[in-house]
Formats: sequence, structure tokens, C-alpha cells
Amino acid sequence: MSNTLEQVQKDLYEGNADAVKAGVEKALAEGMPASEILETGLIGGMDVVGRDFKCGDLYIPEVLLCARAMHAGLDVLKPLLAESHGGTGRAALGKLVIGTVQGDMHDIGKNLVSMMLEGAGFEVTDLGIDTPPAKFVEAVQTLQPKIVGMAAMLTTTMPVMKTIIEALAEAGLRDKVKVIVGGAPVTSAFAKQIGADAFAPDAATAVDVARGLAA
Amino acid sequence: MKSTESTWIRVLSDAEIEKINEQSLQLLETTGIMVDHEEGLKVLEKAGATVDHQARRARIPRELVAQCLKTVPDHFTLAARDPKKDCPLVRGGRPYSRNGGGADFTLDLDTGEFRPMMLADLRDYYKLMDGLDGIDFIAPVFGQDMPVLGRDILMLREAFSGTSKNIHLRCFSGKTLKIMFEMAAIVAGGKEHLKQRPLVSLLEAPVSPLKFLDVMVDALFLCGEYGIPLDVCVMPIAGGTGPVTMAGNVQLLNTEFLGGVVISQLANPGAPLQYAARPMAMDMKTGFSLAGAIELGMMATAGAQMAHFYNVPVSLHGPWTDSMLHDGQSTFERTYMTLMAAYAGANVLVGAGMMQQSLVTSHEQLVIDSEINKTVIRALQGFEVDDGRLAMEAIARVGPGGNFVQDPHTMKYLRGERYKPSPVIYRGSRDGWMEEGGKSFEKRANDIARTILKEHEVMPLPEDAARALDELVANAMKQL
Repeated sequence: MSNTLEQVQKDLYEGNADAVKAGVEKALAEGMPASEILETGLIGGMDVVGRDFKCGDLYIPEVLLCARAMHAGLDVLKPLLAESHGGTGRAALGKLVIGTVQGDMHDIGKNLVSMMLEGAGFEVTDLGIDTPPAKFVEAVQTLQPKIVGMAAMLTTTMPVMKTIIEALAEAGLRDKVKVIVGGAPVTSAFAKQIGADAFAPDAATAVDVARGLAA
Repeated sequence: MKSTESTWIRVLSDAEIEKINEQSLQLLETTGIMVDHEEGLKVLEKAGATVDHQARRARIPRELVAQCLKTVPDHFTLAARDPKKDCPLVRGGRPYSRNGGGADFTLDLDTGEFRPMMLADLRDYYKLMDGLDGIDFIAPVFGQDMPVLGRDILMLREAFSGTSKNIHLRCFSGKTLKIMFEMAAIVAGGKEHLKQRPLVSLLEAPVSPLKFLDVMVDALFLCGEYGIPLDVCVMPIAGGTGPVTMAGNVQLLNTEFLGGVVISQLANPGAPLQYAARPMAMDMKTGFSLAGAIELGMMATAGAQMAHFYNVPVSLHGPWTDSMLHDGQSTFERTYMTLMAAYAGANVLVGAGMMQQSLVTSHEQLVIDSEINKTVIRALQGFEVDDGRLAMEAIARVGPGGNFVQDPHTMKYLRGERYKPSPVIYRGSRDGWMEEGGKSFEKRANDIARTILKEHEVMPLPEDAARALDELVANAMKQL
């Protein structure tokens, strides 16, 4: 790895967005291809962050700060990557729609997952709280995401997740998306029961699961 | 029992308490609170708050806070169908305990299996809690097989038959709350009687940070109207919905409490309120809201100090844990949480039965927590230091090398000096333990739960009240 990219990784780990941006510009000026800067400098840098997060050396807020630094670098590469990544300019993980289901006002968990998913490179549209099935369906129709994430904190609102999956099926959209569910009372058994594609017990796992589904 | 005030622990100095209060007043004036309730905003505006109706934001002048703090009662009683089970909440008085409400799952009494809570479990739980003397009033649990709309009403109907202790409600809408108060009025013998002796109480929470949803404002208004004691439960999650620092999280929850006081007292001056300081903490690895972290106890102690500063009753979390088993971690966490809360001067200790944060309730846990609660209350009582008990005569009489076993002094004070734990605590020999089946703490708790379920008799609900309730509930369910 070149010194410049090593520095980019280091600055990314420190969460220094300005330095990452400058480092990426420097690498480009040195003639390095954008894809290599992305893979080695940025994604490689986030992999180190991810590893240290998993073993408990880094915390969620720090991971989010690193992700922001990564995006500062990514924004520089965006126009150069646009062609090879389908016009989104993002690391090709794709679009994701997330919301807390109808009747449920809890959002800190969902917000955390949204932030982590964005940090990982998804283009996230957050539908907010108390989201009715029709709004999920509309979002899928309009945005054509790869993944739909549903959150609930109350057992009384969990059944709405099934309703939303059924609504997607009725609209002929069920097989166009992967559905992940989560929330404190949600279990993998419940996810299976309602026909979701996956379940995640916490924010970090949600990112791994989403990555797997988007591949 | 003498006042517990001399035992109270402190984490904040007097100057720090003053500062937190002063800064809460500043925050209410400058940042304000969001009030998602048209009538609520009007009431605030009429009283002098600066209201932005578009943003649904109210900025509250400190004079208004001062005025409202003057009318909040400094004590109230949670009345019970059986008056012997009343819980008077007074400064420096013994604390009363309740179970943690709303768990969706349980551990099966026979198999230990983790499974959803059902209506049949609910009935068992009310009976068990009615029979445990370390649990003083009852918070609701809901069966997953109950209809979603009106489950709070159905829960209350079950509770009135299932226990004669005060029932602490959870409501899902202003509409059902009113119905539940009407139910309580039936059992109390009328709206006025209910106000004199509130057989139910309620807990509601603003959404941190600083957001008062419509159901919160409905609760603040309705409780005042019916004279029902309301826990203003302020529970920012440090690092998530509140500042990550303990001091900052306390700063925020104190501000939210004062916001609740203003809305409540403007509508009904003199409405009984309790400062339910429920500071939480976000685990920065998982994002989970923790239950057993020691920092919760530290922040809660600060919350209690603020409550004492305002001279209002205070409810803190007692037994709580992140563990999902009846294991050492659970017992360890819930014991320090309960001790800290009691020594912080809490009037109410919340959480008996709760496992895995607020997800699970078990019979064994209720038995264990009943014991923890009773032991902690015993510790608070201190001991009498009078001439008789100081035993000068007996010490002289027994003299060097003697023993006190048969001494008249021992006979005189034998009963009453020492708390007798329930059989969940084993203090015998190893051989004796083997002979009795070699049972674990958990198994002993399970046995006790079964015995109570088998033998305990709940004070029956008078038939006319039962009939009137059934009629009201049937009508209400039809309309929902």
C-alpha cells in the first residue's frame, strides 16, 4: 500500500474528514485510479474500523465519525466512480428503505441502524416513525431499494410487519426486495413466521445482514 | 419508623443541585419543549409561555415553573381496595415497591421456556403479586393473545379481580385512559371517592429529548382531573436520547420533569405527581438501552436529590438487570440497583420481576425481588438505640466469658430484632440442604411461586362492582 493511502486509512480511523478528503485528492494527483483509492484507502480503512469495533475497542459514535470521514473522501471520488457504480456514486451496496411501523413511536434504535447503514455505504431513506403499510409500498415503488428494514419496539405493533410484507406482495413488489426486521421484542422465530428474509438483534449485526442481502 | 433522611446517599453537592435547577429553568426558557397537543399549547400560552404553534414549541418562563412547583403536593397515598395495603408516599418514609410493567415475554413456570406472555399468565401474575408481601402495588402485564385495541381496559378489568393492591396503569390513548378512570370510579364508589382514595395510579413519559406527545399531555390533564397520582417518568438514554455524560443526562431529565409539572399544574393545581427519575444508558457497542449498569443507579440518586430539592415523591428503579436468566449477574445487578435506590431516598422501588431489561417477567424473579425489597427496606429501618437495647445490665450480668443465649435480655428482645427471610433464603447446613432436596435458589423461588399460586386467596371484588365493570368494559370494547 502506498504511503498516501496508508495515511488516508490512518486519518479515517481518527475520524478526520478534512484530512481524508485531502488525502484522497493527493492520491488522485499522484495518478492513482479512483477505484483503488476507494477499495484500499476508504473501504480498507473502514474494514479496520469494523474489526476494532467488533472486538470492543471502538464504539458506535466513533464508528459513525469514521464513516463520515470516509464519505468526505468518497464525495471526492463520486464523479469519477459514477460510471462504474451505476450512477449512484456510492460504494455499490445500494438503496435501503427503513421505518418504524405504524402505531410505534420508538426511533432511537432505528436511527442508530440508519446511521450505521449509511456509514457502511448504503443509500438510506428513513421513513420515520408510525409508518403505515401504504407508505412502505410507495417508497419501494418510487425508490426501488434492494432492502426494506422494519423496526418495532412494541409487541402490539409487531403484527404490522406482517401486514406490510403482505402489502408488498399484493403490490407485486415482494420478490423485488429483501426484508429485514428488528427491535427489542422481535425474534428470529417471529421473522421467519411472518415471511421476512432476515432478522437482526442489534445495529451492528443489521449492517452485516444487510451487506449479505445486498450482495 | 423514623425518617430515612439521615441515611440518604448523595452524588450531588448542594451547589450542584442549585446549578442543575437553574440550568433547567434556562433550558425551558431558551430551548423549551415540544408539545404535540393543541390544547396543551393553548394552556401554556395563556399562562405566559412563548408558543410557536407551527413548530409546536413552548418556551416556559421561570416564574411559571416556580408558580407550578408551589402547588405540587409533597406527599400522596396510593390507595388500595384493601385499605391495609395502602402505600403512603411521604418524604423520609419507608419505600413501597412494585413490579416492572409491560413485559411481553415470560419464562414458563414448569419448563423454564422463554415464551410470549398470555392472558392466563397475566391472571397468575396478578395473583402471585397480590400474595407476595415484598410487592406493594401492581403494574400491568399484557397477554400477547389479548386484542390490541382496548387491551389496557381488559388488563384493568383483570387486575381489579386479581388483586386488592393499588393498580399502576399503563394506557395507550387518552380515550382508554378516561375509560379506565371511570372503571376505577366504579370500584371506588364514585368519582369523588376515587379522588380521595385513588385506587389506581399512572405512569407516562415524555419522549426524550424534550418531546411531550399527545398521550403524555392527555395523561397530565386527565390525572389531574380525576386526582390520580401520575409518575412523570423521565428516561433519557445517555448517549442516545440524552447526553452521554451522567451529569448531562440528569440535567435533561430534570428539565423534562419540570416541563411535566408545568403542564400538569396549570390544568389542575394540586394534582399529585411523582418524579420518576429513570435515567438510562446506551451501550455503545450494541446500541441497547442498559438496565443493570451502575451508572443508572448513580444518575438515579442524583434524580432523587433533585426530587427532594423540589419536595416531591420520587420513584426509582429498584431490581433490574440485563441478564436473561435467574443467575448471579441478575441477582448482583438488581441488588445494587435496589440498595442504591432505597438509600437515595426513593419512595417507590420499581422493577420486581423484570429480566433482560424490560422484556421478560418471571415468577421466580418476583419471589426473589420480593425478598430483595423486604431486605432493603429492613436495612433502611435502622435499629433502636435505647437503654434497654444497649444492654448494659445484661452485659454486666453475663460478664466475661459468659453467654447470652438464655439470658432474660435475649428472651425479651428475641422476636423483633431480626428480619425473617422467606424460604427462598437458605441458612442451614449442607447436610440439611441435601436432605431437603439440594434445591437451588432458583428452584426454591419456583416452589414458593407455586405455593402462592395454589394457596393464596385474593380479596374478592364485590359482585355489584364486578357486574358494573363488565358492562362498562363490554360497551367500551364495542365502541373501540
